[in-house]
Amino acid sequence: MNRKVLLIGAALVVPTIAILFLNLGRNPHKVVSPLVGRPMIEFKLTEVGSGQPIDLASMRGRPLVINFWATWCLPCYAEHGVLVRGARRMGSDVQFLGVVFDDEESRILRFLDQNGREYPTLVDEAGKVAIAYGVYGVPETFFVDAAGTIVAKHEGPLDDSSLAAYLATVIGGPH
Amino acid sequence: MIPALGRTLILLSLLLATSGAIVAFAAARRPAALAWARRLVYGYALAIAAANALMVWALLARDFSVGYVAQVGSHATPTWVTIVSLWSSLEGSILFWGLILGLYVAGATHATRGRYQTYMPYAIGTWLATAAFFSFLLAGPAQPFLTVANPPLDGPGPNPLLQNHILMAIHPPFLYLGYVGMTIPFGLAAAALMRRRLGHDLLRPLRNWLLLPWAFLSVAIVLGGWWAYEVLGWGGYWAWDPVENASFLPWLTATAALHSAIVVLRKGSLKGWTLTLILATFLLVILGTFMTRSGVFNSVHSFTQSSIGPTILVFLAAALVWSVVLLAMNIDRIEGEEGAFHGTSREAMFLVNNLLFVLFTLTVLIGTVFPLVVEAVQDRQISVGGPYFDRMAVPIGAALLFLMGIGPALPWGRATRDQVKRALLPPLVTAVVVLGIGLALGVRNGWTLLTLAFAGYAGHVTMKEMWLPLARRVRRGERAAEAFVEGQLGRGRRRFGAYIVHAAVVVIFAAIAVSSTMKVSSERQLRQGESMAIGDYTLSFFGAEVRREPHRVATIAHIGVYRDGRLVRNMGPRMHQYPTQREPIGTPDVHTSLKGDLYLSIMNVDPGAQSVGLHALINPMVAWIWIATGVLALGALVLLLPERRGAAGTIPESAAGTDPSPPPRTVGAPSEETP
Repeated sequence: MNRKVLLIGAALVVPTIAILFLNLGRNPHKVVSPLVGRPMIEFKLTEVGSGQPIDLASMRGRPLVINFWATWCLPCYAEHGVLVRGARRMGSDVQFLGVVFDDEESRILRFLDQNGREYPTLVDEAGKVAIAYGVYGVPETFFVDAAGTIVAKHEGPLDDSSLAAYLATVIGGPH
Repeated sequence: MIPALGRTLILLSLLLATSGAIVAFAAARRPAALAWARRLVYGYALAIAAANALMVWALLARDFSVGYVAQVGSHATPTWVTIVSLWSSLEGSILFWGLILGLYVAGATHATRGRYQTYMPYAIGTWLATAAFFSFLLAGPAQPFLTVANPPLDGPGPNPLLQNHILMAIHPPFLYLGYVGMTIPFGLAAAALMRRRLGHDLLRPLRNWLLLPWAFLSVAIVLGGWWAYEVLGWGGYWAWDPVENASFLPWLTATAALHSAIVVLRKGSLKGWTLTLILATFLLVILGTFMTRSGVFNSVHSFTQSSIGPTILVFLAAALVWSVVLLAMNIDRIEGEEGAFHGTSREAMFLVNNLLFVLFTLTVLIGTVFPLVVEAVQDRQISVGGPYFDRMAVPIGAALLFLMGIGPALPWGRATRDQVKRALLPPLVTAVVVLGIGLALGVRNGWTLLTLAFAGYAGHVTMKEMWLPLARRVRRGERAAEAFVEGQLGRGRRRFGAYIVHAAVVVIFAAIAVSSTMKVSSERQLRQGESMAIGDYTLSFFGAEVRREPHRVATIAHIGVYRDGRLVRNMGPRMHQYPTQREPIGTPDVHTSLKGDLYLSIMNVDPGAQSVGLHALINPMVAWIWIATGVLALGALVLLLPERRGAAGTIPESAAGTDPSPPPRTVGAPSEETP
């Protein structure tokens, strides 16, 4: 038995396996948002169609779902149905908001006519709000509790069950 | 029906591999059992091949009652994509792994029939134990043949990135042929350790079976880079992505082993070291498999989150521990005479070469795993980016290129000062010439100039070593053609092939250095009819077109490329939107030429407003990487050509099982007629 080989081998093998083991179940695609756990960033944007300004400050006191999307994003089509259903069911308890960036008003209106409108859709003209929220790609959705704290962020399209799970956490938050 | 049949075949392959491994190890004590172990190898290979054939059939028939087909199949995909789907997702890729492993194990078993009797029980046992693990994955954690109770009418199709380019049909098979093939030298090396002997009899199959997957892996790595270049649209071919690194790591150790094996042949030393490198190569292959399949690393290659990560990790841990114990127990017995290495000898250069390769391996390994360490210890996300790898890899690469010039020029053993001078001084002329050409063409980057000078030096030495034996024969009065067939393709075949590979690598080095430091890049937002200039090209945007294809929507920007007022060609970089993908996928268009590529990709495109954000690049010398890789494959082919029976240099069969002392002169690559 060559002790030197054994020792060098152990020195290489044990930490390697330990580190890989500790990282099992890690999701490398997850970008940890520094915003989670912090107060939401307030913004004032105009609603598509009506042209009315909507101020986030006026929505304080209700849990919020802020969904960033665009008409050129194909997964957003499927996700829109999920959000519309969610808003129909939970709209009395939770305020849904859509924020569209890098898009044109006429297309947004056509999209909403075809896919349903259940909650206000705001236009993020220069993408400033998306940048402030660190949006990496669309769709992305932020969940804000009644106290105005960002509780969770979801990247990619939501489905019914994941939306329900997120809604349970924002409603169950500090009332 | 098909799912049940598929599951039966996989269970059969598991049964055959497991029993075969047991029988093979038992044959170490009862040689009569070896014949049965061989039969079980062929049985395993047949079973797993049949399972693969069945899956391809199910994919083509769009039988959505098969779990894997429901996951990756689609009526919309073209036939070639449907076949490629076999390896496009996790379960299928493991099934495909099994097919390649079956081919290799059966091939190696057949090629070694009646030979190396004392080693084969251990080798076959190790191969089949590995095969059993992969069949176990298919039988349990990664089942491709699950029954779908309510089959859907249509499926989503495979990952869009895999449908985007025909190279996806070629790159993975080559990678698997490289990756999986490392099982064979691993088994042979393990057999040498268990037998506590590495004779020249075993060294020859060991080298050949290492060389074959090494050649596939080399080509696969470059094909992967080519694919990234043609598909991903960022204008480069290598990004130190964790999974690129996963394919590069075993390549580094395998390359080191191919070189240290030459020292074993010539000097009888570095035996234990060579075996260590071969074991490490296989272990790095399994680590790479873990990296792509566990969902732990972020990469364009990674498969979806899966449950097989822990299973592969257990296998990796077991293989690591087993290898370390095997080495520790047997390395002292196996090591031959430890000859003193003279400072300016070829063997000393081989030693430095090996140290550099190992340093390179550790550098890349640390950079790849470091984010995991930080995250485990500090709960903080970091990424180790290109700059770290570039800063480390460039000096090591330059040093390796330098050695490629010095090493082959130096003679074996002790050389006189005069010999050293005569060997090392003349190539300096070529180094200076190539450096001068670089300077004249505008190269100013210090590392690139250094690389060009080293490439000139190594190129000179390589060419000289490649053709010197021929020149000598011709001078002795032989006809050139005969001398070529007799020498280059006959007795000196290994030497000739090795230097073809070296020549290709020299070109690749130069091309990488030039293309990564001399590129010209320009980004512009263009409206219809507007133009931009890059290099001596003028690019005109004619307009954007939306084309609906069965499996995607393509937006194509039509660009006219002009030089000196004349249309060179029309190019059409695209943006593809797949229904299942969150982001659109840009597909660049590349105009390739030997001098440099014109590379166009779309940053954004609006067919409504007829505007496009165009990213244009001129990448010099990139095509040389692809061409040289073809040459490298050719060199490997020359090395692997079966030796003519009775040709000088073959080891007599009687040598098998004994430990021959004097190394046969013509087997080592740089052997014939070297001083």
